[in-house]
Amino acid sequence: MITVTRSIKWRMAMWLLISVLGLGALLMLEAWQSSRQAAERAFDAQLAAAALTVSEAVQWRDGVPEVIIPPAALQILATSSEERVFYAVLDADGRQLSSNWPLWPVPDALQTSLGQAPDSAPLVVDQPTLHGSLRLYGREVSSAGWVDQQPVQVWVGHTLSGREQLTWALFRQAVSRFLIMVVLAGLLMALTIRYVLAPLRRLRHQLRMRDAEDMGPLEAHVPREIRELAETLDHLFARQRQGREDLLRFTADASHQLKTPLAGLQTTTELALRSDDPDHWREALGAVHDSAARTSRLASQLLSLARLRHIQGDVTQTSLELTGLVREVALDWAGREQARHHDLGLEPLPPAPVMVTAQDWALRELLGNLIDNALHYTPAGSRISLMVNREGKDVCLAVLDDGPGVASEALERLCRPFERAGRQDTEGSGLGLAIVETIAQRLGGRVRVTNLQPHGLQVALWLPEVRLSGAGLPEKRGLPGDSSARTEV
Amino acid sequence: MRLLLVEDDELISRSLGQALTRLGNSVEVFASCRDARAALQGAPFDLVVLDLGLPDGDGLSLLEEIRRRGDSTPVLILTARDGLDDRVRGLDLGADDYLAKPFQLAELEARVRALLRRSQQRTDNCLSLGPLRFDPATGTSWLDDAPLDLPHRERLLLESLLLHAGNIAPREILENRLFGFGEVGTNALEVYVSRLRKRLKQSGLHIRTFRGLGYRLEEDDS
Repeated sequence: MITVTRSIKWRMAMWLLISVLGLGALLMLEAWQSSRQAAERAFDAQLAAAALTVSEAVQWRDGVPEVIIPPAALQILATSSEERVFYAVLDADGRQLSSNWPLWPVPDALQTSLGQAPDSAPLVVDQPTLHGSLRLYGREVSSAGWVDQQPVQVWVGHTLSGREQLTWALFRQAVSRFLIMVVLAGLLMALTIRYVLAPLRRLRHQLRMRDAEDMGPLEAHVPREIRELAETLDHLFARQRQGREDLLRFTADASHQLKTPLAGLQTTTELALRSDDPDHWREALGAVHDSAARTSRLASQLLSLARLRHIQGDVTQTSLELTGLVREVALDWAGREQARHHDLGLEPLPPAPVMVTAQDWALRELLGNLIDNALHYTPAGSRISLMVNREGKDVCLAVLDDGPGVASEALERLCRPFERAGRQDTEGSGLGLAIVETIAQRLGGRVRVTNLQPHGLQVALWLPEVRLSGAGLPEKRGLPGDSSARTEV
Repeated sequence: MRLLLVEDDELISRSLGQALTRLGNSVEVFASCRDARAALQGAPFDLVVLDLGLPDGDGLSLLEEIRRRGDSTPVLILTARDGLDDRVRGLDLGADDYLAKPFQLAELEARVRALLRRSQQRTDNCLSLGPLRFDPATGTSWLDDAPLDLPHRERLLLESLLLHAGNIAPREILENRLFGFGEVGTNALEVYVSRLRKRLKQSGLHIRTFRGLGYRLEEDDS
């Protein structure tokens, strides 16, 4: 049964998507960081330039600093994003010499940094205010050469929207570059998958176009990875071919085998109908009866052989106890009317259970055919015995009789279907041993047919014995129809 | 005995009907599940011979119905299917015996006789075969209405053989019955069988040995 799972394309796309998403997330993170750093650097440089411009405008008159803020300084800070721009020039005591800060409280950073600002080293502070975060840049300025002059602090600052806008702009660019790449790669991947899977498509097309009757070998060019699949298909075709030929041959044989007795029936009844002699009728009826019995036996054997040979599946084999099964089969057959005139019996069985791996019905069918054969091919009064023996690691299961046996040159051919060891005259289809052989192969055993001295035939099947480990031997099989007797004990 | 034969093949039902009538039974033949079901509502039968492949349903479902009603009439199943599964299922559902087509008429007759005998014994509470009768309640037996005085173990042996009459009584079961589960010599059973054989001489009955398998009490071929 074929269960269709997700397509190869789907799988590949899924894996690609997952890896692209993972990688993409990392890339985005990195792009955001670097965009931000770039924006910060650019704007910090602007702040520094503005602060420098302001500091250059500081004049000392009599040691007292004075400042007129040059518009150029503020121009530097005025970006397109309408930021608020702040500046403050403080003297050493913290007084504002010039500032656009009067309306708002002076940011903490300015106050705390008064007098603490290291010489000339600029200070960058992020200051939260009522109007959003501010970026402040401050430096201390003192006029070179004039010892007495008081240093001043120059602070410039602006809101962050310019930075944010720049960050976003940079980030957007990075993202769009990445997305374009992903789309291109995806297209390329799809084309590649299509190209790579083309041999499979060709193979599928070829198989689909194939005639249902065509069991010939495949003619296909396939890459190395698909070679195994193609070869397996080829083997399958070969097996099918073989199986079909076998089946055809078997059907032909079978229909021939069935036609013969039917033709006999037809001629016998035709002759009898022409005759007016009751004795002739009686004789013809006898012949018809025998032939019908033979034909029905043939039909059931054909069915069972066909089933064994051509139906796969149900190969589940279990451990089963052989001696109980043999006893059951022997009891069944010995009690039948068919065996009334034979001495059908059981040789002493091994006392301990004998376990083999097999299918119950297969062993019954096998034994049934051997017994049936023996009953058919031996004269009334013959002795037929069933035997189970341990032989080393194997178990030997045999059916032997003291009938006439089989000519030694015919022994080899005996297991082929429709072989009657040259005895076309006796009733029987010649299928029994073919069935036995087939079952033996199924069970992984081997069959040998030998003549016995002074006369008789033995058909033996060897199966590997299953050794049970430890305790827990299974109960011997119960005997059929004994419940009433046993409960009375 | 009153027999119900459910079989849709006309050739088979005609010949079976004739053969079973000749055994001294009255046979009613039906070709479909529906008719058979109706017939089963009436007076009880002593035996049902049931074909599995019927035109209007599976014989097994009819068998199931019969058993569900608590009707213990013996049922012999006939079928052209020879799968073991069918056989097991039929016996599980309460069939008493099973015969695969094609079969010999003699085989069918023998099985019908055995089933009828068993059903008769159930109603009589008495085991019998030909001239022999055995009352399990009192342990007494009669041969041609003359009381047969048997020692304990021979009586047990006769009872077991009669219980299996028509079938082989497996030797393990006979040994257990006669000697309990202990170890017994291989010939111990044979000794009692031959003693019983002597008593049954000229009675029209004999005990047939099935080598390694058991014994069967049989009527002599007339």
